[in-house]
Amino acid sequence: MASSPAERIELLQGTLGMLILRTLQFGPAHGHQIAKHLQRTTEDILQIEHGSLYPALHRLERKGWIAAKWESAGKDLKREFKYYRLTPAGKKQLVTEESKWKQLTRAISRVMWSAEEG
Amino acid sequence: MRWWPRKNREEDLERELRSHLDSEAAEQEASGLSEEEARYAAQREFGNTTVVKEDVRQMWAWTSVEQFGQDLSYGLRSLAKNPGFTTVAGLTLALGIGANTAVFSVVDTVLFRPLPYPQSERLVQMWSTNANTNRWGIWTAYPRFDDWRRLATAFEEMAAVRFWVVNLGGGDHPEALNAVVTSSRLFQVLRVEPMLGRTFLAEEDQPGHDHVIILSHGLWGRRFGSDSAVVGRTVSIDRQSYTVIGVMPPGFRFPPDLSPAQSIDAWLPPSPDPSRNERGSNNYYVIARLMPGITAAHAQAEMDSINHGLAEKHSEDRDLGVKVAVWQQQVGSDVHPALQILWGAISLVLLIACANVANLLLARGTARQREVALRQALGAGRARLTRQWLTESVILALFGGIVGLALAYLGLEIFIRLAPDIPRLNEITMDAHVLIFSAALTLGTGLLFGIMPALYSSRTDSQGSLKESGSRLTASSGRARVRSVLVTTELALALMLLTGACLLLRSFVNVQRVDPGFNAQNLLTAFVMLPPSKYPEPRSQAAFFHQLMERIALIPGVECAGGADSAPMLSNDAGPVSIEGYVARPGEKEIQAERPKITPDYFRAMGIRLLRGRPFTWADNENSPPVAIIDEAAARQYWPNTDPMRKRVRLEDGGPPVWRQVIGVVRNVRQDGLIEAARPEVYAPLQQSPVPYLVLAVRTRVEPAALTRAIRHAVMVADKDEPLFHIQTMQQVVSDSVATRRFQMGLLALFASLALMLAAVGIYGLVSYSVSQRTHEIGIRIALGAKREHVLRLVLRQTLRLAAGGVVLGIGGALILTRFLSSLLFGVSPNDPLTFVAVSMLLAGVATAASFIPAWRATRVDPMVALRYE
Repeated sequence: MASSPAERIELLQGTLGMLILRTLQFGPAHGHQIAKHLQRTTEDILQIEHGSLYPALHRLERKGWIAAKWESAGKDLKREFKYYRLTPAGKKQLVTEESKWKQLTRAISRVMWSAEEG
Repeated sequence: MRWWPRKNREEDLERELRSHLDSEAAEQEASGLSEEEARYAAQREFGNTTVVKEDVRQMWAWTSVEQFGQDLSYGLRSLAKNPGFTTVAGLTLALGIGANTAVFSVVDTVLFRPLPYPQSERLVQMWSTNANTNRWGIWTAYPRFDDWRRLATAFEEMAAVRFWVVNLGGGDHPEALNAVVTSSRLFQVLRVEPMLGRTFLAEEDQPGHDHVIILSHGLWGRRFGSDSAVVGRTVSIDRQSYTVIGVMPPGFRFPPDLSPAQSIDAWLPPSPDPSRNERGSNNYYVIARLMPGITAAHAQAEMDSINHGLAEKHSEDRDLGVKVAVWQQQVGSDVHPALQILWGAISLVLLIACANVANLLLARGTARQREVALRQALGAGRARLTRQWLTESVILALFGGIVGLALAYLGLEIFIRLAPDIPRLNEITMDAHVLIFSAALTLGTGLLFGIMPALYSSRTDSQGSLKESGSRLTASSGRARVRSVLVTTELALALMLLTGACLLLRSFVNVQRVDPGFNAQNLLTAFVMLPPSKYPEPRSQAAFFHQLMERIALIPGVECAGGADSAPMLSNDAGPVSIEGYVARPGEKEIQAERPKITPDYFRAMGIRLLRGRPFTWADNENSPPVAIIDEAAARQYWPNTDPMRKRVRLEDGGPPVWRQVIGVVRNVRQDGLIEAARPEVYAPLQQSPVPYLVLAVRTRVEPAALTRAIRHAVMVADKDEPLFHIQTMQQVVSDSVATRRFQMGLLALFASLALMLAAVGIYGLVSYSVSQRTHEIGIRIALGAKREHVLRLVLRQTLRLAAGGVVLGIGGALILTRFLSSLLFGVSPNDPLTFVAVSMLLAGVATAASFIPAWRATRVDPMVALRYE
């Protein structure tokens, strides 16, 4: 795996971004919620430090694929969270990334499993 | 819309991360950990907060660069996709920016650049002033300068200089040198080192030690073959032996405001000038370097007290004051107003150019509304869009700026070649100052014309625009109004420039019509100077010139020849005159007049009309009664109620102090130029008051320049060592005297034409566009039976409205601004109604002509096609 911080971010951000977009497709969520969701859904296989979510989140926001808004939530509405939601451009981007990912995995499996047969 | 949310987003991020950690800590606590353990666990789960923040910041920076790169490529692409627009807009901007850069180069050099000597801000010029009228600008007599030099302590160094012409003998032909005679410390004042040899020693401006000479680099190359052993050689100056002690470096120029055509060939002590001992002859100009730490005001105070002491000791100094002025501000100060006016004018042209491009952008913005709406719907913020359009504008401005720089360079080359003698002309270059100015101007221009279209384009009601179909997008009324205002402003600015140009033109015509008092046609002029060593006796001087005149008169093609030591626009000799029986008016100290010594045929040669009495003849010589001829101005001023004939005057000029009888009256001549009024003149015969220096005036029957060789030959025959110099036709002299004025007028006319052209393009664009917008409406009207003329009138109505607005606004602006022109005007008032009316009509006419094509196209609209356009 990549060792330097820059490389690590890039790899993570690429796929991490896609995962975040997918997560937000279900509805708006804040950073903590997204982190927990990923943890749960992958059954903790994906070891991602919670903090590394944030560069990815902010990058998506910069690109205009997600939009952020501070809202009060929690018991007696005393705490504030920064909620993110998918934008129309983000929806389009998710579709693009999904198909790119599918192409990638298809190519990889072809190499792995057809080589066996060959 | 957040533009610079840097601080905000840092705080926001901090808040967000804190909120995350709090949530995680709360969860951990809920599963049983203590508060402190929970915090610790949350932090571990989270990772290194500092690293996270750094990563987010890095990402922000990177995406900024990315976004800028995107804006850049987007801007370039869209400019490339519209080559027509890009070319027109780019050229318009190139013209505006280039012209401004060129003018700024000139302004920067003449007004701001320090003089070409080390620490030139410490250099001052010292003038004598008329203590009564406080008019200053009087030069100083050498003995007075000597006293200043001796007594003043506020200056490190001081020097007095004067222009002089000396004859360099030897070789196969003598040459007249343009020289500067100076006291010994000139080069110390300037802090300039010679290239070869040395500069003057302190005692070398005293008699006995003063036959030394320093050569200019040009003279050294030209006459001495760049010989490195030239120091120590002797040369013949005015037939006397001088030693060359040094050569100045090639870049050295003194005085700094010489035009490129003039240059000084040599520097020598005041030895050839007899007036260096005359306290009453104010012929020198004095420069000095202030002591470190002393201000000009301080120096002024000291000089005032010194002056007071001198006035008590010497009668010649009694009415003189002294003024200490910073030299840099003096050099070229008379062209300052003209330069400022030109700069103002070219700025207006740039504004018009910006307005045009802004209009073009607004028009294009309308066409891009769908694209904008789409992108906004996809989430692009208004800030982002505005930034994008602005980037595009700045790129466009950059194109314009680069081409403009090239244009400016070309323009400057042409300017330097054609310009008349403005000071420091040769120093004009495009240096770092100018480049920085140009870059800043380009950026500023881009932002100026880009901001409004950018703001407009990014503001759309996205829903509405997406629903409408292509060509029926109507510009929002706000946008259309802005465009009209822009065009009206352009017209107004153009009107102001045209008014200025027209006023200058009329002034110039008035100046040309002035009667100078003599006939400049077919008149050749030249200077002859006799060295005192060869012609020490006044009689020999007079005899030489008598012979010369007769010889020249015999040349075929010459009608007659005369000479004078003071001729209009060529040389002067003003000074005191006494008038018998004249009672001085209160406040009038002494009578001053021009006192030319002339040969008998001078008036005939110059075409100066004799009004009364008789002209001089060769019979009026040293053996006959002293006589004088006066001009009308003198007659009117000094004998207002009586007949001046046979009255007596005396010239107080160091010549024989005899009372001369007035034997004739001639017409006035304008000695100083066509504009300045004629001053009183008292003429005396050269034979009765000889001088070693004469301006020849030769009236020819043929083209004057054709006789140059013959006349030069005649002088050679008279004395082979006497060169003839400054040979020019009188027409040239008169023309040169108004050369600056003509040039200013030409430039302003050029700028005004540019402005008019740009405004015409602006109106054409606007009317074209509005016609294309109203095609549908016009089609309906035609289908309903409207005649062609009606449609034409419809379109032209808009033009007339714009033109009327422009005229009204323009006249208002012109009324305010033309008063700044008053120093340049002659014979016409800044608010001259005839000019205003003529220019307004011109503008209206051009505006109408510019909108004619689109109007005509409107009448050819095919209703079927128009109506089909949904």
